[in-house]
Amino acid sequence: MRGRIKKLFRSNEPYIFLIIIVLGIVIQIRSGQFFTGNNIVDLLSALIVPGLFAIGEFLALIAGGIDVSFPALASLSAYATTKFLLDREYGGNVLLAFVIAIAIGAVLGAVNGLFIGYLNLNAMIVTLGTSSIFKGIMQGTLRANQLAVIPAGMKSFGITPFISAYNAKNGLTSVLPFTFLILVAVCALMFFILRYTIFGRGIYAIGGNPISAHAAGFHVKRTKFIMYIMIGMIASASGICRVCMMQQCHPTNMLGMEMNIIAGVVLGGVALTGGAGTLTGCMLGTFLIIMVQNSMILLGIPTTWSSVFVGAVIVIGVAISAYQANHQGVGSHQHKSNAKKEAVS
Amino acid sequence: MNKKMFSVLMSTVMAAGLAVSAYAAPADSESVKKAADEGWEIAVVPKDSTNPWFVRMKTGVDQFASETGVDCYQVDTGTIDAVAQAQQVKDLIAQGVDAICVVPVDIESMDSALKEAKDAGIVVIAHEGASLENVDYDIEAFSNEGYGAFIMQNLAEAMGEEGVYTTMVASLTNGSHNEWADAGVAYQKEHYPNMTLLEEMPRVESNDNGDDAYNKAKELIKAYPDLKGIMGTSSFDAPGVARAIQELGLTDQFFTSGTGMPADNAELLKSGVVKSLTLWDPAIAGEAMVDLACKVLAGEAIEAPVNLDVDGYTEMNWREGSETVLEGQGWITIDAENVDSFGF
Repeated sequence: MRGRIKKLFRSNEPYIFLIIIVLGIVIQIRSGQFFTGNNIVDLLSALIVPGLFAIGEFLALIAGGIDVSFPALASLSAYATTKFLLDREYGGNVLLAFVIAIAIGAVLGAVNGLFIGYLNLNAMIVTLGTSSIFKGIMQGTLRANQLAVIPAGMKSFGITPFISAYNAKNGLTSVLPFTFLILVAVCALMFFILRYTIFGRGIYAIGGNPISAHAAGFHVKRTKFIMYIMIGMIASASGICRVCMMQQCHPTNMLGMEMNIIAGVVLGGVALTGGAGTLTGCMLGTFLIIMVQNSMILLGIPTTWSSVFVGAVIVIGVAISAYQANHQGVGSHQHKSNAKKEAVS
Repeated sequence: MNKKMFSVLMSTVMAAGLAVSAYAAPADSESVKKAADEGWEIAVVPKDSTNPWFVRMKTGVDQFASETGVDCYQVDTGTIDAVAQAQQVKDLIAQGVDAICVVPVDIESMDSALKEAKDAGIVVIAHEGASLENVDYDIEAFSNEGYGAFIMQNLAEAMGEEGVYTTMVASLTNGSHNEWADAGVAYQKEHYPNMTLLEEMPRVESNDNGDDAYNKAKELIKAYPDLKGIMGTSSFDAPGVARAIQELGLTDQFFTSGTGMPADNAELLKSGVVKSLTLWDPAIAGEAMVDLACKVLAGEAIEAPVNLDVDGYTEMNWREGSETVLEGQGWITIDAENVDSFGF
């Protein structure tokens, strides 16, 4: 038990959680509007799309890679899907949209996986390149522009409330759409895969040390290949969520999100060098960024300073994470070797 | 100016525009004919070629090309990105085009790129970039003061000329958006004594992103219970705010107005979440830029009032104190009744 607590405080998650609570209290004091049902619902609803992206990025980082192509990938598959369904005047439910988008995402992810996994090229360079290609296909080949109307099924899925929180004090009703369940489901699925499957263990092992992972019997190339396919699928599901929630499809709306997503995941204690980090940390870090971004006005930070403030939180948070990792390197190394040991056994 | 006078003035202007365009199509202009004969290459660089605003601009530029035979085209810029846009201008310089028409994302980074263009002897026409220095001319559909006041009139009408409001721009570095917002505020102070600007948060940024506008609006509404309206400027602001109004159940209690494209917002206008939006036609602005580029290339003297041969741009006058900025009378209002009549 003692060892468990010690281990807990050696990791990043409790600190991030603490920062979230403290910041929440500060916002509460400043505005009286943080710990209200509708504000929490607003934040959770703002978390859905970045949260899904963060899970994908988390996988890439754990495996010792990185992915900067997911906003372009998600934009392309979501746009192509929406356009395809619109052209066919599709009137059914949202399921088909997810199926098509995830299929496209799998193909696009496989492109990343092929270059990074089987050809063993640098993940940053590959995804920078594919990001341009995906954008190019969307804007050049498909001539993407804003779709003001989306299929009825997607429309209702995006606004039908899963939870709606009414604040009696100010009479505001915030809606958490069903897309939130997608985030929860993907989170749960990934948690299971990473913890209980050989494939999930392999992702950690590869990020720790690909050579020993190979020696331990993991299919390094195949694991990477499948993992980038999964990232593509998750990103595409996220893209459809964004379109449904926005009630229209703006193809460039998600581009440029990658930096804050990576920052959030790293903030959550996921090592840029791979092999270490938890899904809980990833989600907490991402939530912290979303919370800071969406609380500038509640905090009363002037518009001129808000990007400075968001930037400062990222730099300080990531610095603390890095410091933690360096000074308790024993902990994280142990984590890696644990993963390896388990992998061997 | 009251509303009635305003509408009379507007219809006069529009009628005048129609009358002029009846016999002054671009194809009849001497300088345009010369541009077609000489084969001058004119490139138009928008902010974000996927944004419906600039998709519409492209249709204007393409129409100009097909009607007049001038070699003009709009460049595909992809997503909104100041650095990439400046690079695109440099690429055009290297290609040796004769004129560059640009709608700048960021004034400062664009200005240095345009200096290289001018040094290379290329004619530079800007739109929505009045504070650019390295241009031959900048054309604005209207004076920023006039348009800002026009948005404020629409917002004030929706708000019943009373209550607290704030302003939203794409970014604090965006030239025109901030001038409109300033002018809107100035107009309110002069004409609507019962309206007040939210002093604690007088301007917020939407980053030209509908989702950001939506989240910012929700946050503003939570933080400032007295707030009753948001004056939008970018074409994503008011529609994004409208999504928040709809979700929070504040239709007819919270209001917004600002720039917006008709087809994209038809549903919002018809449902009454937004009472009216303001606009000018980017297609015509695109044609006007190319037309002016032809005139400059042909060596024609540019003297006010300049006639650029397209509606709303037939009597361009110098902005006060400026020798490069020309302003027209190209504003329009869209509401539930006329939203379907624009064809875009």
